[in-house]
Amino acid sequence: MAATQVTPPVTTRDRTTGAASIIDVAPAAGRPKNRQRLRAQLTAWAFIAPVVIYLAIFYAYPLYRNLDLSFREYTLRSFIDGSAPFVWFQNYVDVIGSSTFVPALVNTAVFTGVSIAFQFSIGLALAVFFFRRFPLAATLRALFLVPWLLPLLVSASVWAWMLNSESGIINSFLSAVGIDQVNWLTSPQWAMVSVLLANIWIGIPFNLVILYSGLQSIPGDVYEAASLDGATGWQTFWRITFPLLRPVSAITILLGLVYTLKVFDIIWIMTKGGPVDASTTLAIWSYRLGFGGQSPELSPAAAVGNLLIVLAFVFGFIYIRLQRRMANS
Amino acid sequence: MIQRGNIVNITATKGRVFGAILIGTTLVGGLAACSASPSPSTGGGTNAAGGSYTLWDPYPDRDASSDWAKAIDACATDLGITIERTASNTGDTVKDLTTAASNLPDVALVDNPKVSTLADAGLLTTTDDNGFDVSAIAPNILSAGEIDGKIYGVPTGANTLGLYYNPEVLKAAGVDIADVKDWASLTDALKKVVDSGKKGITFSAVGTEEGSFQFLPWFWGAGADLTALDSPEATDALSLWTDWLEKGYAPDSVISNTQGTSWDEFKTGDYGFAENGSWFKSDADAAGYLSIQVPGIDGGVAPAPTGGEFMTIPIQKDTSRYATSAKIVGCLSEGDTAADALGYVAPTAAGSESQLAADPSLEFWIGAVADAKPRTADNLGVSYGIISEQLYTAVQSALSGTASPADSLATAQEAAASKLK
Amino acid sequence: MTRRRLTPVYTVLGIVITAIMLFPLYWMINVSLTQPTDLRRDPPNLFPINPTFDGYTKVISEQLPYLGTSLIVGLGTVALTLALSAPAAFALAKLRPVGGTAVNFVLLIAQMIPGIIMAMGFYLIFNNWGILNTIPGLILADSTLAVPFGVLIFTAFMAGIPDELMSAAKIDGASAFRTFRSVILPVSRNSVVTVSLFTFLWGWSDFIFASTVNRGGDLQPITIGIYRYIGNNTQDWNAIMATAVVASIPAAVLLVVAQRYVAAGVTAGAVKD
Repeated sequence: MAATQVTPPVTTRDRTTGAASIIDVAPAAGRPKNRQRLRAQLTAWAFIAPVVIYLAIFYAYPLYRNLDLSFREYTLRSFIDGSAPFVWFQNYVDVIGSSTFVPALVNTAVFTGVSIAFQFSIGLALAVFFFRRFPLAATLRALFLVPWLLPLLVSASVWAWMLNSESGIINSFLSAVGIDQVNWLTSPQWAMVSVLLANIWIGIPFNLVILYSGLQSIPGDVYEAASLDGATGWQTFWRITFPLLRPVSAITILLGLVYTLKVFDIIWIMTKGGPVDASTTLAIWSYRLGFGGQSPELSPAAAVGNLLIVLAFVFGFIYIRLQRRMANS
Repeated sequence: MIQRGNIVNITATKGRVFGAILIGTTLVGGLAACSASPSPSTGGGTNAAGGSYTLWDPYPDRDASSDWAKAIDACATDLGITIERTASNTGDTVKDLTTAASNLPDVALVDNPKVSTLADAGLLTTTDDNGFDVSAIAPNILSAGEIDGKIYGVPTGANTLGLYYNPEVLKAAGVDIADVKDWASLTDALKKVVDSGKKGITFSAVGTEEGSFQFLPWFWGAGADLTALDSPEATDALSLWTDWLEKGYAPDSVISNTQGTSWDEFKTGDYGFAENGSWFKSDADAAGYLSIQVPGIDGGVAPAPTGGEFMTIPIQKDTSRYATSAKIVGCLSEGDTAADALGYVAPTAAGSESQLAADPSLEFWIGAVADAKPRTADNLGVSYGIISEQLYTAVQSALSGTASPADSLATAQEAAASKLK
Repeated sequence: MTRRRLTPVYTVLGIVITAIMLFPLYWMINVSLTQPTDLRRDPPNLFPINPTFDGYTKVISEQLPYLGTSLIVGLGTVALTLALSAPAAFALAKLRPVGGTAVNFVLLIAQMIPGIIMAMGFYLIFNNWGILNTIPGLILADSTLAVPFGVLIFTAFMAGIPDELMSAAKIDGASAFRTFRSVILPVSRNSVVTVSLFTFLWGWSDFIFASTVNRGGDLQPITIGIYRYIGNNTQDWNAIMATAVVASIPAAVLLVVAQRYVAAGVTAGAVKD
């Protein structure tokens, strides 16, 4: 996971084995390399073991249960008497063949793509803006995080409140400039826009903080050198800052992607995925099938959930590939 | 070169600070955890006189000082046991009970259309299992808990829907409530109210069970049946609502309104009418609102659905607990204490009589509940949930303009039929 | 110089932008003070005319224990997450363990599992371990929201730490752990604060885990406490919004203080040629 290697490392890595790295340097004459490598590996694994065990217990088990749910036919009764016959891929076939599948997929793509595009660019613009030292910069930046303190129930409710067709303040402002009432949450055309607005608003602080941290990690001498060469602010940003921010940007976008794919509360509280699938994403559909509707269909819900995970898999793969390419270049 | 001295100094202080925070937090966390009482062992009461029973209800807004909590405490004292009550969001009941399937509470209060879902899953006991005597409960209220002749739960009380109106708004618009007898006259009244500068009617058409609940008086009032969602009568009912929206007699927000939100709209004083439930009676009395029953399409009274939660006794590993659980249920359903605490009409004749004696103005609602029809009647049972979901989806589809009323209902009927096969 | 003359402009601009961003919060305060009969007024009041403080009285008298619990849970989650994720990230970034890439990949996927599925799984696990309805249980559950994130962020930042720092420590005879504690951690202060911030916020605002694994506990967090104002037929919006406002104030103060602490900018200056 090499991010910014400013200068090449000094003889500290055993390049032939590639494994033992910084710690075991300058082996004493005569000590066999294998034992040394093993010790290095054991040390590395001592650091990482707790997390691996943690992952196995707290993630692998629920994931296993989710897969199990999707490959069988679970009814509520199965939770009592444990009877759930294996139907293998039938649930997936049903889900993909359902009339909600394509709208949900399209909505998920639109929701995720637009959210990330705006969250990232606005977050980056704000990070750069706040990076200048002006009075109150630190306080204002901290205030940007306050929306994250609110339980999603509250943030989503406030947005639903503001976007109400009749009593919402946004429609009030619009009518003050002569625009007719917009049915934000209740019309098929605007429901998606409404949840996007709320989601982008919620996602900006995340991007702001991480990108700002990334900006801080860029050494100041880089900027000095640039200004000595006569670069303008815009040039400095595009040619120097942005490329140096690439690893942090990559991770911000990737995490943003993973989190946005999972978004549920905001949409559920504002529109419940409606009207009629207009703002239903895969995550909403999964919940609706499971516990949001009137009759719990847990196995299809699990199937949709797993499809989401597969989507994330694909993006994770792409990320690792890009990482490797960046590290090698 | 690296200022080694600096790093060591920094790390010494930072390390100490970090360590202190870690230890401090763990201590505080540990103390907090220890001071919290040990996790209530559901179903782990002793067999001696006493014992601890758990009760789950969907009334988190009724805290320990509320009448409801006091009613539970009174029953606990009477029976010589302790009852531990956990309250959480009504929308999560099925999820919560499913998650805790290995560890169910002794008494669980469930919204009445969900009883059949949980009973079908085998989570609940019948009166045969738990020995509860339901002879005193009014049959039309009890029927939501009856599946295939077996009774799975007992109502805490019942509520139903009516048409509230604001006398001042109607007077200013020149509407005489006695003229509102059927749908045509109601729509006329709405027109007059809107012409006078106010808003017509508010209700809840949200995409959840509440939406179905609110649509049913109109649905049944047109003569439609839940087994045939695409009948002409059903289309008439849905067209009534879409017409109101198009003409501006009802606000667009009904599509996302819950019943609570709709009531808040009504309380602004801008609306002539509101379709809402008996639980707002005291609020309405304080504001001077009155009510009539929802009219049928051509006159008469439309059947309104019964609402209210059911007390159920989920299955336990230790079946000897059922006897006491049944006593808890009995204590809470007799008389009118619990029903009053929740703002419901009492489930037994004796209970509703004493409610009437204490407050004669309840006559309207007691009568309305007696006339009301359970949603899972006609042995719809578990099918009701599936049909209801399609019904409120159709309502949402028509009201939002996604499809016409006829098309929305046709899609709904198709979907319901295929899921019920 | 031009820079100094422009500075107040930036401040004004910053305030305007922040105000726009925080407008929904203002609206929240507005609703918390609005009379119940004005809640759905068309058009709505921009300012709370004839304010009501009922919501706040209720909150102050009822919600403080919930706030305290949320604070404990938040801080505990931060401690646990840092303790788990920082060492692991150090290993992944610098020590190159065999299978490190796989672990990275798994961490990414781990965050994708829907919360409801995790919650149901935790219920079973915690039931077996007997930690249902306890604070440590909730801390454990909430940490799953943050640990993968923590590892990813720490790894990204630690990989950028120049290797000279570590070789210098090695020359001085430090073990891996000593290097981690004395060299890497102080230099990673930026990312430690970032991860802590998000972990705290996620733990603070979690609902799904709290409602599943801590339903019956004596101490419950604020996200559950808010449901006291949501009945099955009615919602008390004054109290709901007032709870959110009261809950945000101390944490907002915490945030402002934490940001100041980071503003110094740590990595620059640690290594000077």
